[in-house]
Amino acid sequence: MSRNMLENDFASDEEDDDFNPAPVEESDNEDAPRGQAGGRGRDNRAQDRGDDDDDEENGAGGDEAGGEDDEEPEDYEDEEDDEDDEDAVSGRPRKRRRKPGVHNFLETEAGVDEDEDEGDEEEEDMEFGAETHPDDADALPDGAEMDDRRHRQLDRQREHEASLDAEKQAQLLKERYGRNRAAAADAVVVPKRLLLPSVDDPSIWGVRCKAGKEREVVFAIQKRIEERPPGSRNPIKIISTFERGGAMSGYIYVEARRQADVMDALQDMSNVYPRTNMILVPVREMPDLLRVQKSEELNPGGWVRIRRTKYQGDLAQIEEVETNGLAVTVRLVPRLDYGLNEDSGAPIIDPKRKRAGANAAVSRPPQRLFSEAEAKKKHSKYLSATSGLGGKSWGYLGETYVEGFLIKDMKVQHLITKNVNPRLEEVTMFARDSENGTSNLDLASLAETLKNSTAEESYLPGDPVEVFKGEQQGLIGRTSSTRGDIVTILVTDGELAGQTIEAPVKTLRKRFREGDHVKVIGGSRYQDELGMVVQVKGDTVTLLSDMSMQEITVFSKDLRLSAETGVDGKLGMFDVHDLVQLDAATVACIVKVDRESLRVLDQNGSIRTILPTQVTSKIAPRRDAVATDRNGAEIRHGDTVKEVYGEQRNGIILHIHRSFLFLHNKAQAENSGIVVVRTTNVVTVSAKGGRSSGPDLTKMNPALMGNGAPGGAMAPPSRNFGRDRLIGKTVMVKKGPFKGLVGIVKDTTDIQARVELHTKNKIVTIPKELLVVKDPITGQTIDMHRGRGGPRIPQGSSAAPPSGWQGGRTPMASADSSRTPAWGGATSSRTPAWGGLGSRTPAWKADGSRTSNPYDGNRTAYGGAGSRTPAWNAGARTPYGGSSGSSDFDAFAAGSRTPAWGAANTGNRTPAWSAGASNSNKGYDAPTPGATYSAPTPGAYGGAPTPGLSAPTPGAWADSAPTPGAYNAPTPGGPSRRPYDAPSPADFDSRPYDAPTPAMGGIAATPGAGPYDGDDGGPRYEEGTPSP
Amino acid sequence: MFFLKEETKVISLHPSYFGPNVREYLINRLNEEEEGRCTGDHFVICVMDMVDIGEGRVLPSNGQAEYTIKYRAIIWKPFRGETVDAIVTSVKPTGIFTLAGPLSVFIARKNIPSDIKWEPNTVPPQYTDHADQVIEKGTSLRLKILGVKPDVAAINAIGTIKEDYLGPL
Repeated sequence: MSRNMLENDFASDEEDDDFNPAPVEESDNEDAPRGQAGGRGRDNRAQDRGDDDDDEENGAGGDEAGGEDDEEPEDYEDEEDDEDDEDAVSGRPRKRRRKPGVHNFLETEAGVDEDEDEGDEEEEDMEFGAETHPDDADALPDGAEMDDRRHRQLDRQREHEASLDAEKQAQLLKERYGRNRAAAADAVVVPKRLLLPSVDDPSIWGVRCKAGKEREVVFAIQKRIEERPPGSRNPIKIISTFERGGAMSGYIYVEARRQADVMDALQDMSNVYPRTNMILVPVREMPDLLRVQKSEELNPGGWVRIRRTKYQGDLAQIEEVETNGLAVTVRLVPRLDYGLNEDSGAPIIDPKRKRAGANAAVSRPPQRLFSEAEAKKKHSKYLSATSGLGGKSWGYLGETYVEGFLIKDMKVQHLITKNVNPRLEEVTMFARDSENGTSNLDLASLAETLKNSTAEESYLPGDPVEVFKGEQQGLIGRTSSTRGDIVTILVTDGELAGQTIEAPVKTLRKRFREGDHVKVIGGSRYQDELGMVVQVKGDTVTLLSDMSMQEITVFSKDLRLSAETGVDGKLGMFDVHDLVQLDAATVACIVKVDRESLRVLDQNGSIRTILPTQVTSKIAPRRDAVATDRNGAEIRHGDTVKEVYGEQRNGIILHIHRSFLFLHNKAQAENSGIVVVRTTNVVTVSAKGGRSSGPDLTKMNPALMGNGAPGGAMAPPSRNFGRDRLIGKTVMVKKGPFKGLVGIVKDTTDIQARVELHTKNKIVTIPKELLVVKDPITGQTIDMHRGRGGPRIPQGSSAAPPSGWQGGRTPMASADSSRTPAWGGATSSRTPAWGGLGSRTPAWKADGSRTSNPYDGNRTAYGGAGSRTPAWNAGARTPYGGSSGSSDFDAFAAGSRTPAWGAANTGNRTPAWSAGASNSNKGYDAPTPGATYSAPTPGAYGGAPTPGLSAPTPGAWADSAPTPGAYNAPTPGGPSRRPYDAPSPADFDSRPYDAPTPAMGGIAATPGAGPYDGDDGGPRYEEGTPSP
Repeated sequence: MFFLKEETKVISLHPSYFGPNVREYLINRLNEEEEGRCTGDHFVICVMDMVDIGEGRVLPSNGQAEYTIKYRAIIWKPFRGETVDAIVTSVKPTGIFTLAGPLSVFIARKNIPSDIKWEPNTVPPQYTDHADQVIEKGTSLRLKILGVKPDVAAINAIGTIKEDYLGPL
């Protein structure tokens, strides 16, 4: 037993010594002294080599040692199979040999003893034994002979042992096991080239195999060799086999004397294809096969990237490299969502599946340091704390987190070790910030590693540079040309000023002064950022971004002097601070332009990240947009305003959009200083260019004001039809001698109205501004905007408005826009009534809603038909009652005013309508386009429209408004008394304006629609004047 | 640095102003429009006097009259390296915003002496060295302009107080 141990010691000893030298040398020198081991020794070596080659990227000596560790015992065990009972691989054949009833104990003892005295001959002895043993075992009965032989051997050995003294014994041992050491010593002397293979040496064939199965094949061959060892009946005659891993995938290499041997060895083996063409490796290239590539040296503290998993592409710092170079411990910034996005109901997806992996990569959480607080929220069951010597660490979901970082053991294969190019901002994540905000990151060393990746194009002619290394250290100049990585510099300072020198890129760095305006040109996520240099420290430059007012630290190589001002960051058509339309109701201001996305601040103050495709349109800046602040003062683009409530933010108006202001505040870092506020919440601090103190002089000049001032609205289309809606309204006088009196408007001009006062039964002329429209029944003031705006609208905002419109355009505009729906409402509310009346065509409806018909209309059945607001009715009706003398009108008026109207109406009208419908006037009563327009004789209409058109006076309209049917119905006598009532075609002929001819309707509708829309849609008013 | 500079400006006047007070009106207009203006290169501090008010020429299209006025004005052009006094307008973790007359100067944190630290917990927040130097809103500072960035109608500058004799006054 003790011998056994001794032997093991030796083995490890010799490995240490043996495998430390360079691989090539060692592989060869092992052969030489191990002469007696012959092919077999080499064979095994090569297998080992093959193993090593798998991991050759990490290679190096230590690796080999690791490989040998496992394999080495096999060497001996094959040679001296008795002694080694630990090895599982060769256990089987050995056992078979040993089967004939020898106790383990004895066997071991015997084996050991044999070793010592028999030395080399023992091998042959054993091999012979091994060869004959199975056969003998079969042939002979378990017998005493075998036992006897063993016993005799043992006896002999003991005798021999006793005869040797200790010293000699030691020497023997040394000679026996220490040969490799001796060989190693020899190798130093033996020139390497003598160890190179020659033509006399066995050849190496490259054999195709299934890619990725190389190692399996090698192991299979090894196994086969064990099954059919040399000296057996059908030995495998190859000498060695190995594979070269990733470098030559799909090939294994077999060393043998003859090709047939290779074929034989690989016969019927899976995954290897010896029958395809085998490559005979030229002698010259043989050493290359065994050359271990110098792999990227991994040092703790170095940077690598992760090849796969959700950390794919992430930068990692090497914490520790295991001695075999195969596994490293890396430090990562974790990407965890702490189960927040976990869908508990989701089916469990096999994490190995590709799709899941892809998803993980796409929607992986951002890099953030581990936070136990967050982990506790939802995943406390997965969280465990351990505190060790190095401080507290957390176990979470099977991973270890220390100081917020993920500490992970990874195989080198899963790391990208070349061209890592750590970016500064990535690296800074690893910097453990100290309290004062300064990081303990060694930027200098990082810069050094990055220097290697400095592209020559980062130096352009004209760049100010400084030589910071080498003989020329301290020179300052400007680059004049670059060639490869040699830069020609025109020296600007110092003794050499004016001369040109050449310097390699590596010794240069760009030079910036504080205050320089620079642009980040690449190599970091700050690309294209503009800013001013605030600090220069060696290779790193801190600049203050123009946009975000944040300090950015980048390497000077990533900077360039910039003459650009203002906007940086462009994404196609979008610039920072642009106003964009997101959807019909939302506008937003761009606060940041990333490479593919935009960050916007919308009008509601929320920040979104959107894609450029999500932007409906860009809103062109309107510098002349005007709004009013809380105090009613005019605010424009460029003014400085301040919030009244809340945070009292202030800023310069960047955009005015309806009632929202986008302000820019330089002192604010977030959102690039953009703030969104409502116009009603701000007060003016100062206006641009000192405009604030008092209104614009040009505006104070009444002369300028009067004539529609430049920039004012285009002159509205002149009034060409309809009449002032104020006519017929009940109004109250606000001011003057008639103050407080109520009356009815009988007639109007642009600025004045003739009002028939209730009290005095007298018509007085009063300026329109002094009138307030009242509800005749309730006496309530009718909404000014609606009441006043309303009547004006059909006039196409004609003469009356100017002063009002021009002077206070902004509020009026809002009134206008607010009126729009009201009108729509009014119209639509009326529409069903019209519809109820049934047979009117759209032309009629439009007409009715627009013209003054409705007001006079209570004369007509449909006029009173009720969908009108009380105001309208009142306004329209009252004068009727008062002014019209005819009884039938009275009846109508009465009927229309009272609740009984409905009854009266239906009672009267329905038959009337039907009557109308039944007689020749049907066409007019039901002026469906087809019927109406086609039915009448062309002559009648041809004559009719002209005067009607040319004189669309209220009177004309009033006259034309009534439908014949309506008049016809109640009083058959009516027509005779009032010619215009007459429904006869003759009458129409004579009084064309009576006839609601299609021409009238048609034409009226058209101009009516024009001004109407113009007012309501109000581009004129809305544009410049966002409503407050 | 301040300069006395002669400049010209064209003012167009609406006919309704034509009258005995035209000159007065022109002066008003000029003062109003020019004083405090920033060209992106300099600030017009004050219009000194008018060298010459040209003849008004009536424009054919709209009847307005165009006056070409030559005037002298005191301008201020900030230079790199210039030392100015400024008033702190706001104090942020990133640095100090100051106003040197019309010029806004930002002092980045890197340009604040390291012993003057950001102290967010005071009201108002301040930069202080916990001794006699306290920088908060309203403090007067002496600073050196490090860089000037002209814009279309504004000048932005960055400054430093990380030198001798600079800092709160």
